[in-house]
Amino acid sequence: MTTSDASDTAPRAPLRLDFLPKHGVLLFATLLALVPTIFMVFTALKSEDEYGINKVGFPSILVLDHFRQVFFDSPFFTWMGNSLILALGAVVVSTVVSCLGAYAIARMQFRGRSLLFSVSTALMAVPPVVMIVPLFVLYTELDLISTYQGAIIIYAGLVTPFSVYLLTTFFRTLPRELFEAARIDGAGDLLILWRIVLPLSLPALLTLVVVNALYVWNDLLIAIIFLQDDSKRTLMAGISVFQGRYDNQIPLTMAGMVVASAPMILLYIAFQKYFIQGLMAGAVK
Amino acid sequence: MNQTARLRPYLYVLPLVALLGFVFGYPLVRIFEFSFKQVRGINGPWIGLHNYQLILGQDLFWQSVEHNLLLLIAVPIMVAWSLLVSIMLYERLKGWKLYRVVLFVPYILAIPIIAVVMKKMFQFSGPVNAVLNWIGANFLALDWIGDSNVALWTVMLMIIWRESALGIILFLARLLNIDESLIEAARLDGANWWQRVRYVILPQMKVVIEFYVVVSIITMLSSVFSYVYIMGGGRGGPGTSTMVLELYIFQALVKISLPGVASAVSVLLFLVSLLLIVPLFAVRRRANEEEVG
Amino acid sequence: MTNHDRSSGVSRRRLLQGSAGIGAGLVLTGIRPWHSARADTPTLNMWWWGEQELPGLQAFVDDSVKSYAAATVKPMLQDTNVVISQFQTAAAAGKGPDIQYLWNGIYHMESVWLGYLLPLDGLVSDQVVKDSNPTLLSHYNGHIYRLGWYPQPMTWSYNKDVFEKAGLDPENPPKTWDDFLAACDKIKSKGIPPVGGGIQDGYWGEWFFGHGLSQNIDSTGEAIDLFTGARDFKDPKYHEHWVRLEDLKKHDFLNPDMASLELYPGIDLIVQGKIGMGVSVGARLPDDSKKSNDRVGTMVMPVYGKGKMAGKPILDAQGLGISKDAKDPKAAAAFLEYLNSPERLKVFWDKTHWLSTNSNFDTSVLTDPAVKAMWKMYGQSENIPYVSNVVPGQFYDNAMVAGAQQIVQGKITGEQCGDLAAKVVNDWRNFNPDMVDHYKQWAKDLAA
Repeated sequence: MTTSDASDTAPRAPLRLDFLPKHGVLLFATLLALVPTIFMVFTALKSEDEYGINKVGFPSILVLDHFRQVFFDSPFFTWMGNSLILALGAVVVSTVVSCLGAYAIARMQFRGRSLLFSVSTALMAVPPVVMIVPLFVLYTELDLISTYQGAIIIYAGLVTPFSVYLLTTFFRTLPRELFEAARIDGAGDLLILWRIVLPLSLPALLTLVVVNALYVWNDLLIAIIFLQDDSKRTLMAGISVFQGRYDNQIPLTMAGMVVASAPMILLYIAFQKYFIQGLMAGAVK
Repeated sequence: MNQTARLRPYLYVLPLVALLGFVFGYPLVRIFEFSFKQVRGINGPWIGLHNYQLILGQDLFWQSVEHNLLLLIAVPIMVAWSLLVSIMLYERLKGWKLYRVVLFVPYILAIPIIAVVMKKMFQFSGPVNAVLNWIGANFLALDWIGDSNVALWTVMLMIIWRESALGIILFLARLLNIDESLIEAARLDGANWWQRVRYVILPQMKVVIEFYVVVSIITMLSSVFSYVYIMGGGRGGPGTSTMVLELYIFQALVKISLPGVASAVSVLLFLVSLLLIVPLFAVRRRANEEEVG
Repeated sequence: MTNHDRSSGVSRRRLLQGSAGIGAGLVLTGIRPWHSARADTPTLNMWWWGEQELPGLQAFVDDSVKSYAAATVKPMLQDTNVVISQFQTAAAAGKGPDIQYLWNGIYHMESVWLGYLLPLDGLVSDQVVKDSNPTLLSHYNGHIYRLGWYPQPMTWSYNKDVFEKAGLDPENPPKTWDDFLAACDKIKSKGIPPVGGGIQDGYWGEWFFGHGLSQNIDSTGEAIDLFTGARDFKDPKYHEHWVRLEDLKKHDFLNPDMASLELYPGIDLIVQGKIGMGVSVGARLPDDSKKSNDRVGTMVMPVYGKGKMAGKPILDAQGLGISKDAKDPKAAAAFLEYLNSPERLKVFWDKTHWLSTNSNFDTSVLTDPAVKAMWKMYGQSENIPYVSNVVPGQFYDNAMVAGAQQIVQGKITGEQCGDLAAKVVNDWRNFNPDMVDHYKQWAKDLAA
């Protein structure tokens, strides 16, 4: 499933009369896609009073004070920091585990290999909510509630089936000669994995980083159940509290949403290709 | 082969097996055990099928099931809309790449953020109704999030809005892989635009559409928690109109402290997801074959 | 369904290495142990809540922890959703904290019945327990399980400007239901919604239930009977409050956006003079009074009922208790006594600008006349417990809240809401057979 670059140079469809309705559909779709973002930004820049009478239009006077409140009076940065720790932690753990596992599945012979791969792949379709009850009880017994380690393990586990699936299919496409040549040179498996396989797999790894980090960053369910200490709250859990606490101040709420969505929007603009590829690959998660 | 070499593969998969066993294996075994117990806190006495009898006899459970099933109505709408937009994009009109970037934005925004923004937009005295009243469509100015008969549809609208972005990009990617000479040949044969879409393009897209449909069904049945949690005030409201199975499990565990009941529902949801794994595998494999071929 | 562009450049690899480095660093700083206890004094874990409804409480807790020398107290502010489940699960696993924040009534009684809380007699001095006013709902089987911390008067607010505009006496809000309906008519004729708020997030339904049900009952035990099967919500007097709400809806007295507004924005509309009257809580009043230049008045829900509790102000209290997992219950008790010392009560006011439940709290610090009047009415006169605090969680979401939301939308009648309530009570009894006997005992205790 590629957004191949070759297509860019393909001959353009010649200009015809049906060109107007087609542009019309696209413009309409684009507008729909942007409306919530536009509303969010416009409203964030309005005063409370102006929002009372002007709910739709451009702000007549730009008010930046809501952003000041978000940055300095709300724990947005703490929340973002927590989300970042979890996302990075889960990505690192799951990437290491999946690389080792996928390498063995793709390149080694052992009993139970195909069973392991099938089971791991099947787990992709199991909804996370199914696991929360026993994990909640277990985490309570193990004192892992409201710890970064605990949440990172859950997140890493939840994203690993997809990572193994992606990496295994990718590793299998690497030419066999490469491995044989390396082995003749006396390289062991770890060295082959580190020096040959991983550098060749960077695109797949980047896709994984995007999909998995985004999954953790955007999750609400695990965050509200397993991180109950106020100081460990993630950005998404923080948002659900924030909108409740300031629900009477819609411009302030929207300023919070602008700040909360900014990191991903900026990353998307910078790394469009990886976002699009990654999210397509991770469609079923 | 010596002993170490035989053992080496197992060392490589050991962390994987441990992690999956911990996060998936252990809980999946225990939900079955818990579902047969009246759990208080961390354990409780064995009560056989009683938890299942309770939930199957409860209106709220069936309402939740019904709401999950109703959300499936969104799937054909998403497919139709994504097809329309992606085929328009495929025409590669001036600026199509920019359109593509923007059209994917809904899928980049986190669901809780979207839900908060849309909740404010759809308030009774909010901007959506302000616009509807302004253009004279007063009859459409519903109480989007306050009316029990409307709220689930509002949630569905939000889901369609976001998940269609994925459909558009998936479909477009497939379209860009179609052999252009087929379309060109059809054009030379005198096929008009609609005939080319109907007889050349759509058949080529069968597999990706199937894939998207299966993925969307899984979404509707088992991953709409973030949408309804924010829109329904954390309890599937107004009334119980946006209660879904995930929220039912969450409430049974967290709010009313009945882990046994939550586990019984988890078991049922797990069994449903098992049923969906088969078609998922099938479409995934075919999608992959198509790409390789 | 993946594509791997093998021509990807080296710069991306650097990026990956870079981010992995940052990642490892953050994980390490995140995972390192973040507190080390002092060795010589006992350590007390305290799980609490309340900053959410009473800003400043965190400052009070932090200050008290810092100034207390006899033990190292580690406070943890809990999330609203999980205050109860987190404690109950932890206690079941033997991992409960030493001190736990406890909402009133069933919110801690369930834990009492499961054996997760210690009775305070013999641990905390009887005088301190009594002074802290834990309220009737903390009693079970001859024991008290909570110390009161801060009060929450369950009030009705009204806007004096709106009353004046409608030709009503702003100092004499309606006391009977008939007067109330007449006042509503007058306010409505001025184009202002006479009564309402916001029910989208559901809490409004809980508050209304507390005010409404108490009008037709003689004791809190009678409300508890509704859950044991001894009494039935289908009995008209136990769902009359919902019929009254239906009336308000039929008369078009409720604000039209009530169903899509949340609780606090709804009350804000009363403060802004955009709604005449509605349910509120005392802790909001200092702020509301300031914002409206003293134009928010406090009243008691107008009376239609014939029960002994009708027309009396409702006073609820939040509190703290000691868990059975406390390693040193005496030390926990000592800290709770410390929080009730006269010096701490003063600091409590400084940090929160709100009252403590303690009888020794010096109420002369109250200067705002509106707050003073409210406290005189709700805190210093005869008051009643808040009966919404005896309903089980299952009833809370699926009947008390869901029912009221549907009445406000005009979807069901008050009578149908009674049927719904009866059905949900029945569900609850089936789901929680182990709780029903405790409810029966509790009803007996509170029948007086």
